[in-house]
Amino acid sequence: MTNQIVPRSNSTGPIPPLEYPVDQVVFTPPIDIFETADGLVLQADLPGVSSESLELQIQDNKLSLFGRVSLTIPPEARLIHQEYQVGHFLRSFILSDEVDHERISAKLNQGVLEVILPRLSKPEPRRIPIQIV
Amino acid sequence: MPVFRWGHAWNPIRDLEREVDQLLAKVSLFHGIRFGQQYPPVNVYELDEEFLLTAELPGTRAEELEVLISNGVLTIKGRRNGPEGIADDRFRRQERPRGPWQRSLTLPDHIQEEKLAAEFTNGVLCIRLPKASATQPRQIPVTNGNPGIATVDRT
Repeated sequence: MTNQIVPRSNSTGPIPPLEYPVDQVVFTPPIDIFETADGLVLQADLPGVSSESLELQIQDNKLSLFGRVSLTIPPEARLIHQEYQVGHFLRSFILSDEVDHERISAKLNQGVLEVILPRLSKPEPRRIPIQIV
Repeated sequence: MPVFRWGHAWNPIRDLEREVDQLLAKVSLFHGIRFGQQYPPVNVYELDEEFLLTAELPGTRAEELEVLISNGVLTIKGRRNGPEGIADDRFRRQERPRGPWQRSLTLPDHIQEEKLAAEFTNGVLCIRLPKASATQPRQIPVTNGNPGIATVDRT
């Protein structure tokens, strides 16, 4: 698995590229990837992102996530003390061949995205009957 | 005369340490989390009627989040849980911070502590701190006290 910021110009293909405002700050969210019995699980911290404002896309073997942060702060509020910056989240991953792309599922809970990447099930060995001629 | 003495030998290291600390302080390792900074980082917004304090706490369960106020000090504490039952060697990548955290903040004087409200949505904690209305100047009546108490008996 690699992680890289995909330049906007690079994401061309049959699926429309992810749209994000370039004038805003875009952050690379911290992630965990761990193995389970069934495959891999990816967790990403996306505070402020709701399930409606999250775009998860698979193109070929690249999984990209783009989370739009919607602030609950009224626009007239003045920022008087700042310790962290608010911005959208963008990150993409190259999936290995062992991941079953068709069965990938994802859920978002309190700002944490969890993507389940099931391992491709290997076909069972099959006995080929030999005909006696 | 000794060229090298322990007492002096450590000073350059301390200087180096300080310089490295300063360098690292400018580098944001993870989004929002920096060395020498308290966790969680908070932003404070001001409105006409209230202050809003926000903190990003993804992966914290609302029932594990504690917001306490006592004598003008706001304390928030909780813990960030990693995935349960996953051994460390199962991780291919581990970047998300975890573990218990606590932070205390001193509030300005004119806050209505009893009207404080907190909500937790999409991993962002927002605490509303309503401002107290401007207090009216109050006259303190001065009465004639017992002169016997006020004067010092010099005899």
